[in-house]
Amino acid sequence: METKTEVLQELQKIPWFKEIKPELLQKIVAIAHLRPIKLGEILFREGDKEDFLYIVIEGRIALDIFIPHRGKLRIYTVEPWDLFGWSSVTPAIHQRTAGATAVLDGLVVAIDSSKLRQACEEDHELGYLVMRRLMNIVAGRLLVTRLQLIDMFASPEETNAN
Amino acid sequence: MIDSPEKILVPQSELLLSPHWAEVMDITPEAEGISTYWLRFTDPVEQETFRFEPGQFNMVYLPGFGESAISISSDPNDHEKLGHTIRFVGNVTRAVSRLKVGDIVGLRGPFGTYWPMREMEGKDVFISCGGIGLPPLRPAIYHIIRNREKYGKVTLLYGSRTSSDLMFPKEYESWRNANIDVEVTVDRGDANWNGRVGVVPMWFYQFRIDPRKTAVLTCGPEIMIRFVIYEAMARRVPVESIYVSLERNMKCGQGSCGHCQMGPYFICKDGPVFRFDELQSFFNVEEF
Repeated sequence: METKTEVLQELQKIPWFKEIKPELLQKIVAIAHLRPIKLGEILFREGDKEDFLYIVIEGRIALDIFIPHRGKLRIYTVEPWDLFGWSSVTPAIHQRTAGATAVLDGLVVAIDSSKLRQACEEDHELGYLVMRRLMNIVAGRLLVTRLQLIDMFASPEETNAN
Repeated sequence: MIDSPEKILVPQSELLLSPHWAEVMDITPEAEGISTYWLRFTDPVEQETFRFEPGQFNMVYLPGFGESAISISSDPNDHEKLGHTIRFVGNVTRAVSRLKVGDIVGLRGPFGTYWPMREMEGKDVFISCGGIGLPPLRPAIYHIIRNREKYGKVTLLYGSRTSSDLMFPKEYESWRNANIDVEVTVDRGDANWNGRVGVVPMWFYQFRIDPRKTAVLTCGPEIMIRFVIYEAMARRVPVESIYVSLERNMKCGQGSCGHCQMGPYFICKDGPVFRFDELQSFFNVEEF
């Protein structure tokens, strides 16, 4: 069983957490734990109840969506220092909209989403920092989704091509 | 016209004005609708003396069909054969797809500006490309491998739509063995793909580049290039250290026909490799 000191040490490797005041960071550490992951391990499936926000320390997590008659399609991979499961902090749907599978052995920090929401409500400075970070993540994911949607590598009907 | 020390146009020669014949020695299928054609001039002296710089292109000519501008994708130091990696999308290239080993094509070239290999010596090099944007950069990779001690940290960040669309996957290991950090991503992965999934520009944040000593080279779909440049600039890479290779409907290879015009430039004559400060003022302008 890891100690909170170990959680703190892992989080402090990530630049964003270095910017947070120690007393605010302690509030996050208090509701977080380390979770080692193995290749092939499923962290959650589509439709699961949302409970944790995850930050990858080591390894790679694939996010996938099941498409009937096509199987699972991997839509994004989460690399070290990135986070996933962010919708659990802004619960509009209350269930996972994608699955998460480890494709490399690794380590993640799991933060209790409902307790994080509660901490953000109680301390708006913390709430602002967390939501600002999530906004950056969501904006990045939105851009990825747009670029995937437009299919950058599609071959248009090139009437002028030689 | 903006002057650029990197822009060195190749002197006109007889080989630029009329096609010279080359035999198809081998054909390597790369992905669906894309193959590399290994060519050798029928005149041994021409083969021995032909030289090109990484990033340059040839006009590939098929009698009865016309010409197509194709980047040279082989090793500039290999004087035995020339590689052209061709996507079959137009009249000429579809005809190329029907060629067999032993068939003859015409070549004019080499044309265009090239990657600033000498200017980058002593710097880190970050190559960010997608799809068929890797073939014009492969000669630069070969050059770096041959002169590895002249360059700092070298990273190749390459993306394609799916894993089966990746170009030259069998070579990645040898590139890694030459101390090049090769990172590959796909837009869509299936359950068997354990590599990265996502788009090339968004992986920039993963790499801790030193903007003061890093040159960024990019080639691929223009929409990808645009976002690669955003990300490079967001990391404070000076525009003078960002190089772009563009491909746009090149027809004549000599700036005469105007088909490949972009702003004040003809891609075939003034490019295809540009330093980004040359393009910046109109690169992200609608309709350009």
